[in-house]
Amino acid sequence: MKKPIVSVKNYSLTIGDKKIVKDLSFEVLPGEVFAFLGANGSGKTSTIRSLLGIYETTSGELLVNGKKLTPETASIVGYLPEERGLYTRSKVLDTMTYFGELKGMSRDDAKKEALAYLERVDLADKAGVTLKKLSGGQQQKVQLGVAIIGDPKLLILDEPTKGLDPVNRKLLLNIVDELQQSGTAVIYITHLMEEVERLADRVLILKDGHSRAYGTVAKLKKDFKSQSIEDIFVSIYNESSAEAAK
Amino acid sequence: MSKLKPVIRHEYLTIVKQPTFWLAMIAIPAVFAGIIALNYFSNQSSANRIEELAENLENVAIVDESSLISEAVVNSAGLTLYPESEKEALRQSVQEGDTEALVVYPESIAEDRKYQIYLANPDVSLTTSVGSLADTILQSSIYLPLGDANIIALAQQGAEGQIITYDEGRETAGFNEYVVPGIFLVLFYVIFLFSIGYMLSSVSEEKENRSMEMVLTYVKSRDLIIGKLLAVTLVTFTQLAFFSVLGAIGFLVAQSLGNEMSLPFGISIDELVFDPLTIFFALSFLVIGFLLFSGLMTTVASIAPSSKEANNFATFFYIAPWVPFWFVMPILTDPENSVVRFLTYFPATSPVVAQMRNTVGNIGTLELWLVLGVMFAFMLASIWLAVKAFKLGALEFGSTIKLSKLFTK
Repeated sequence: MKKPIVSVKNYSLTIGDKKIVKDLSFEVLPGEVFAFLGANGSGKTSTIRSLLGIYETTSGELLVNGKKLTPETASIVGYLPEERGLYTRSKVLDTMTYFGELKGMSRDDAKKEALAYLERVDLADKAGVTLKKLSGGQQQKVQLGVAIIGDPKLLILDEPTKGLDPVNRKLLLNIVDELQQSGTAVIYITHLMEEVERLADRVLILKDGHSRAYGTVAKLKKDFKSQSIEDIFVSIYNESSAEAAK
Repeated sequence: MSKLKPVIRHEYLTIVKQPTFWLAMIAIPAVFAGIIALNYFSNQSSANRIEELAENLENVAIVDESSLISEAVVNSAGLTLYPESEKEALRQSVQEGDTEALVVYPESIAEDRKYQIYLANPDVSLTTSVGSLADTILQSSIYLPLGDANIIALAQQGAEGQIITYDEGRETAGFNEYVVPGIFLVLFYVIFLFSIGYMLSSVSEEKENRSMEMVLTYVKSRDLIIGKLLAVTLVTFTQLAFFSVLGAIGFLVAQSLGNEMSLPFGISIDELVFDPLTIFFALSFLVIGFLLFSGLMTTVASIAPSSKEANNFATFFYIAPWVPFWFVMPILTDPENSVVRFLTYFPATSPVVAQMRNTVGNIGTLELWLVLGVMFAFMLASIWLAVKAFKLGALEFGSTIKLSKLFTK
């Protein structure tokens, strides 16, 4: 069995009086797409921030490549957060190069890789343009480029297709496919279950900070006697309504 | 350390690549030069107009009830001195517009120092020119008995007092001693006006455009803040270099035109004093004061959810360095005053007050060290607070961080 790139054991997070995540454990393997699902406020973003070392954990262990992640060791990670944006007054190439440098790349290498990516996503002619002059979809492609520059071993994408048109959405999903083929592990957060069905190898559904379903897509369908991840998700979230109704 | 370099470069270039940065730098001296030029030409034009009016003031009547006015002086101005009995008729003539103006020097002028000017219309130029003419006639008439023209000029204009000051038996350079440390005070305000806001906008914009979370994945909060501080310091040096070059060009142009530089307060370039200890303290107060304010601005930007609210919260810190100007006389003349002592050590006013007192030399070396130590401690505290606020508020996009949270573990 492959050695996991992400290993989360008994992780809990309390902010103020509020318990955000409770005793969460999961693993992500190299080369897999791991769908990390849950309703808004279920604790997904907090878990990711703890994994990245931005939030201090209350208890438990979150390891990437066997180590606690710090800004010094985060170069193996590419992250596209849900609350995302870029320096609107900076030029596209400068922005991508800057993030490449923050990931430990040399300026020249970062520039080369950024230009290759911009070529790939049809934005080469926009390299010298400030971000505020790009459309929303073009800005989103640059944001993805910032996340994947430096050839990360682990890519965390939080609702990456939100707001994209079908053409760009397809392009993004193809890029995710390619990264997966090359051995990159992807933690994929989304509310679009067709994307989960298309991409995911394994799934974790979080509800109120608790893990409510965890395993391969096939296993979850078998366990929940269901035809789709969407039905499983809905049934988990309807449980409380049903319980409350009783 | 390797992460600091790209952060500094990015922050520095983001600011200096903006056309507005250079526009502001060029516009401000240009606006000042424009105001000075406009003021000069406008004054010239007013002076010419008054001179022109004075030359044409032939229809002005003078009545003297005080017996102080010399008829020869009145006549030399091309005017006529009328007897007291015609005063009422002349006043009516002015009222009806037949006579342009009437000046009456009453008997009581020596006691209450008041005389009357009647004018045919409310033209400001007429008011100024007749007033000036009436004053000149009065003064010249009074000084006339002195005889000698030089003595009359001395009595009218006074003489310049040349001050020679001794400090512990040594002759000082007077105002020339204040110039070099005074430049650091000016520099503080230049930096304050131009650069302090960059720290505020750098943090609040990063929060607002939501790039913060991606950056914090790869850079420690502390490194990001330090990188930003160093970048803003570099921006400040760029501005200082720009203004120095501009000043040097201005100086060279003036010299090449053969104009002798006429400086106020008897300042002489040759007599400027460069005291190493005074300069050391002036430079230290400048740098530490700048970093102290940068730390405070970062704290404000970190706890506020948006740049608009950050600007509102920062108003106090924008105003604080100007407060000492309300107390400038006690600061310069009464250093033992308790308000002056408070302002010398209070973090928001200390960089300015310490600089002022160092400039005029009314603070001892021991107290200078003490003020520097206290300011340094406040600077460290402000940076600590900035990092703490940044850690708490960097990813808080919806609400303001409570101040109490900054001081709890």
